[in-house]
Amino acid sequence: MTLSSAAWKTLLARAAVFALALGIWFSPVPEGLVPEAWHLFALFVAAIVSVVIGAFPILTSSVLALAAAVLTGTLAPAKAYSGFANGTILLIVVAFLVARAVVKCGLGERLGHLVVSAFGRSTLGLGYSIFLVDGVIAPAFPSNTARSGVLYPLVLSVAEAAGAKPGDESRRRLGRFLMFSGMASLTVSSALWFTAMAANPLGAEIARGYGLEIGFGSWLVASSIPTLTAMALLPLVLYKVIGPEVTATPEAPRAARRALAELGPLRPHEKIVAATFAGMVGLWASASTLGVDSTAVAFLGLGVLLASGVLTLGDIAKEGDVLATFIWFAILFTLSGQLNELGFMGYLGERLAGALGGLSPAVAGVALVVAYVLLHYLFVSQTAHLLALFGVFLGVGVKLGVPVGVLAFLLLFATNFFSANTPQGSSANLLFAGSGYLSQGELYKLGALTTAFNLVLYLVVGIPWLVLVTR
Amino acid sequence: MRHRAALVAGSLALALVGQAPEAAGQGAAPAEWRTFEGTWSVSGKRSTVPIEGGATAAVVEVSGAVVLTSGEGLSRGFRGEVIGFDDGQGVSLGRTVWTDEHGDRLFSRLKGEPIETGRRIVGTITGGTGRYAGLEGDYSFTWKYVLSAEDGAIQGRAARLEGRVRRKGTTP
Repeated sequence: MTLSSAAWKTLLARAAVFALALGIWFSPVPEGLVPEAWHLFALFVAAIVSVVIGAFPILTSSVLALAAAVLTGTLAPAKAYSGFANGTILLIVVAFLVARAVVKCGLGERLGHLVVSAFGRSTLGLGYSIFLVDGVIAPAFPSNTARSGVLYPLVLSVAEAAGAKPGDESRRRLGRFLMFSGMASLTVSSALWFTAMAANPLGAEIARGYGLEIGFGSWLVASSIPTLTAMALLPLVLYKVIGPEVTATPEAPRAARRALAELGPLRPHEKIVAATFAGMVGLWASASTLGVDSTAVAFLGLGVLLASGVLTLGDIAKEGDVLATFIWFAILFTLSGQLNELGFMGYLGERLAGALGGLSPAVAGVALVVAYVLLHYLFVSQTAHLLALFGVFLGVGVKLGVPVGVLAFLLLFATNFFSANTPQGSSANLLFAGSGYLSQGELYKLGALTTAFNLVLYLVVGIPWLVLVTR
Repeated sequence: MRHRAALVAGSLALALVGQAPEAAGQGAAPAEWRTFEGTWSVSGKRSTVPIEGGATAAVVEVSGAVVLTSGEGLSRGFRGEVIGFDDGQGVSLGRTVWTDEHGDRLFSRLKGEPIETGRRIVGTITGGTGRYAGLEGDYSFTWKYVLSAEDGAIQGRAARLEGRVRRKGTTP
């Protein structure tokens, strides 16, 4: 039996990944790190690289890394499995199922036709509509993960209304563009508003320790120019890169209006889903004010949809992708979190930032932001990244003479705009990443491109603006 | 960097070898103090119970990176683990262990104020294992920030960790 060239390529990629893992594992532990941290780093890096080079799908690489971490004694079982009980990850799983209900009952189709009737003259117009909707609702949603749960059914409905199916390559590009627009939109809408992401106020609290007061207004002023520029340009960049074959659809708005008329009034199940979804959106938006847990809100919504018969156990059984997403994300979330707990992230951040001593403030500031963004490849949570590294990088930058306001805002915006660099870079990505429209390779490629674009834009447009407004 | 580490380790080994005969004979005076500086980033959890007067008592369990930016005789970094108790009325106690890349440990006792932004903590080095066996010293740091989440998770960073360490003398 002879192997095809593709099979050889996969085999070589797998061998390279194992060699990488073993190479790091058995190389001397750097001074100042415990062996467990170094070994976990070897497993984590191998898991990520294996997905990037196509050695294994993300689910396979994650479960292999987890098994290796526990069986080698690198992680205690209780720590290793802790991600499976994480509230944010459960929120994603439930939001997937709720989105399925929106589509199943026909409400999604109606929403899709509504959006297409307003913005559907071109594919690019649909992309901009996603950024617009997200940008408008963002300040009411301190959890960008919860916001993705609102945005995803809308994007999915628009994709389906526009005829984009995951299985049909020619139409898939349209779906791919719309889905990735959803992910990319969250990176900038969260940067625009102080209250659009849970980590933003945490960062402000850390910045206060360095003498910088940040509130809703000062954040908006600082973010406005670079973020609005990003919102104006990013859909266009993605459109050029992804190149959806369907571009101009001048007849689409009229067709969508016709389809809407044919759908007639809301059906009973649509009414139930609409009311449930509206209730969930209201509770998510006021979760911090009312002191309610966002994940519990999602469970309540799912319970209502199951009890009312909109969703059935049969529907749940069909959602195998949700289970796969839950498993790989929970594992990577845990591995990354444990790297932090074992001191690896803090060590790396301190050492990297410390190595910049002697540079001029301007060069050091840019280097700190670039390093901060690149390090997100090791994180599976924006908040965890901010908590582990923001204070370290800000402290080093201030010591080197970088203006605190400029650096703090750039790092805080980066905490938002780097979230799409990998599919696991933020829990807010998961619904879009698991939609079936985007392959793992595409997610990494488009993620890197979006992050690089945002980074350059925030440095080029953001720095002069921040120098002006933080004086 | 490795040369420096080797030099430090070598110096310590020489110091140990040099002290051994003296210790066995007539006892030895403590070595010179060596100062060190660095940072300490931690993450972990805080469990609380309410007590009288609306206050709370807490047990804190955190760990993270101790990174030393200057000083000799110690590794350039450790994994620092803390378990502490705050009685809610101003008394705060804890034990810590710093572990280096060889698994050698440095133990200390913490005393001071609760883990909160701006609070100062004082540590007394009580001993160690491996190349840190027989060390004594002290250190202090102030929390630059400590952030708490609703689920009890906390994250903090001490930016100015300063201390001194020396090998204990032996009694004749």
